[in-house]
Amino acid sequence: MAKSPAQTPDAVDVRQSVAKAEQSLYASVLAIRGRHEIERLGIAFYDAETTLQWSYNADLAFHAASTMKLAVLLAVFRQYTRGELTLDEPVHVRNKFVSIYDRKPYMLDINRDTEGEIYDHLGRTMSVKQLAYYMITCSSNFATNLLVDVVGVPVIQTALDELKIDGIRVLRGVEDHGAFEAGLNNEVTANGLLKLLRLVAEGKAYGEEASAQMREILLDQRHKSGIPAGLPQAARVAHKTGNISTVHHDAGIVYLEGRKPYVLVILTQFSSETGRTTAVADVSRDIYECLAGMNGG
Amino acid sequence: MAETETESGLKIVDAFDLEPDLRALLRPGELVEGIGGQYHHLPRYFYEIPSHEAARQIRVTPHFGLNEFLLVDLKEAARIRAFPRYVPCAIRILAFYLERLREATGAPVHLAVNGGYRSPAHKLSVAATPHMWATAADVYKIGTVVLRERASIETYNRLIEDLTDDLYVMPYGHEIGKADDHIHVDLGYVSIVPREISEDRLEGPQPRPRFAYEERRRGDRRGWPREPLPEVLPAAAHGSPSGHDK
Repeated sequence: MAKSPAQTPDAVDVRQSVAKAEQSLYASVLAIRGRHEIERLGIAFYDAETTLQWSYNADLAFHAASTMKLAVLLAVFRQYTRGELTLDEPVHVRNKFVSIYDRKPYMLDINRDTEGEIYDHLGRTMSVKQLAYYMITCSSNFATNLLVDVVGVPVIQTALDELKIDGIRVLRGVEDHGAFEAGLNNEVTANGLLKLLRLVAEGKAYGEEASAQMREILLDQRHKSGIPAGLPQAARVAHKTGNISTVHHDAGIVYLEGRKPYVLVILTQFSSETGRTTAVADVSRDIYECLAGMNGG
Repeated sequence: MAETETESGLKIVDAFDLEPDLRALLRPGELVEGIGGQYHHLPRYFYEIPSHEAARQIRVTPHFGLNEFLLVDLKEAARIRAFPRYVPCAIRILAFYLERLREATGAPVHLAVNGGYRSPAHKLSVAATPHMWATAADVYKIGTVVLRERASIETYNRLIEDLTDDLYVMPYGHEIGKADDHIHVDLGYVSIVPREISEDRLEGPQPRPRFAYEERRRGDRRGWPREPLPEVLPAAAHGSPSGHDK
């Protein structure tokens, strides 16, 4: 675990405490990995309160699943801050997209249960902001593909490049099965998502106003079985999950009463399709307990 | 000639006299190439719609409001989406045929977003399409039937083909030139010159803008008092329209 260079009179004690926490965390993560039979695990963590950062396989690339929606959100707010898009502009809710693999049109397999309110708007319009909200809070694939069409994949990549976010590669929208079969997938690393969320947390993702709006949307996340499940009830988490067959991810900013937030990214991949797993929540709990221990809590 | 829309009909403008930014987007009279390699002149005469409220209130036929042909999303240029808005005068002919479809189906006919008039600046206007002439419609729902399956689309396609030879109906399919989530009908590249406006060869902005007001010849929609028709016409010919679908 690295500590920023700033030294204090208690620097020696802090270093010892950090080293102890690092050992404990490493052992704990290995135990979780074994217990849940996780094939690949990537973790990145940064605590704004203590400036501690820690990582495990943080540059390992994973199938992004729905965590790629964070990059789409970033691109939407890039366009917004540049005046190229307003958040109340109408978008035609139409279930028809073009595969990046063979340029053939494809449709999402949607129904009222999976897409709720967006499904009810089929044939009509929804605003950019509404779509961004459903893309994040309900992880709507439909909203995501509509927004990818609005901003365009090149703009998403430009946003990541502008903010010097390495480790996130967005090639396409979601459920593009032709592209999936051809191995054309969106990828993320724990470090890449950590960088993106740190910028959002610190108000540096296209300015404080845009960052605040992104945080507001992320705080309304409805899928809470990942990072929030390992935290006390009072914790607030601005986060985005990603679950698809063999991968289960969560990436978020954790707000706890009386301290600055910490940013945590947990990426997991299993050898075969798993049902519900508590692996992400277990890692989240370990990180929290580690911090609480260091704070004397 | 009357001077206000309330005293007369819709304002008809010669698009060559519009502001430069609008003219650049509407490109009146310009030749554009279609997918098949044919060239067509873009329309020159447009109705001017002053406000959203006016678009909602103006009926083009008993069951179709003008606003239904103007539904677009952010793929349309922002200036085109802002009022006053402009729509080619051929919109009336399209509405006439859609009204016939409405009568034949006995159910509300719903136009899709981006399924009515699309300017040449619209992102879907990659080649000359009758949507740029306001002579095409994409229908995504009839009554309660959302048209996204072969059976429903082909059933209505056949009904339309039986109804008139004037409408082209796009076949069902997934490829370009086919439709699988709506019904596309169009009248081809029809431009009309309303009787009230004067034509000339001056294809550029003029110091005195050329415009006219449409006569109030469609009295029912504009609130004229209804006079009984002579007995020589069958009663059904002057029955009241059944109202707007929404």
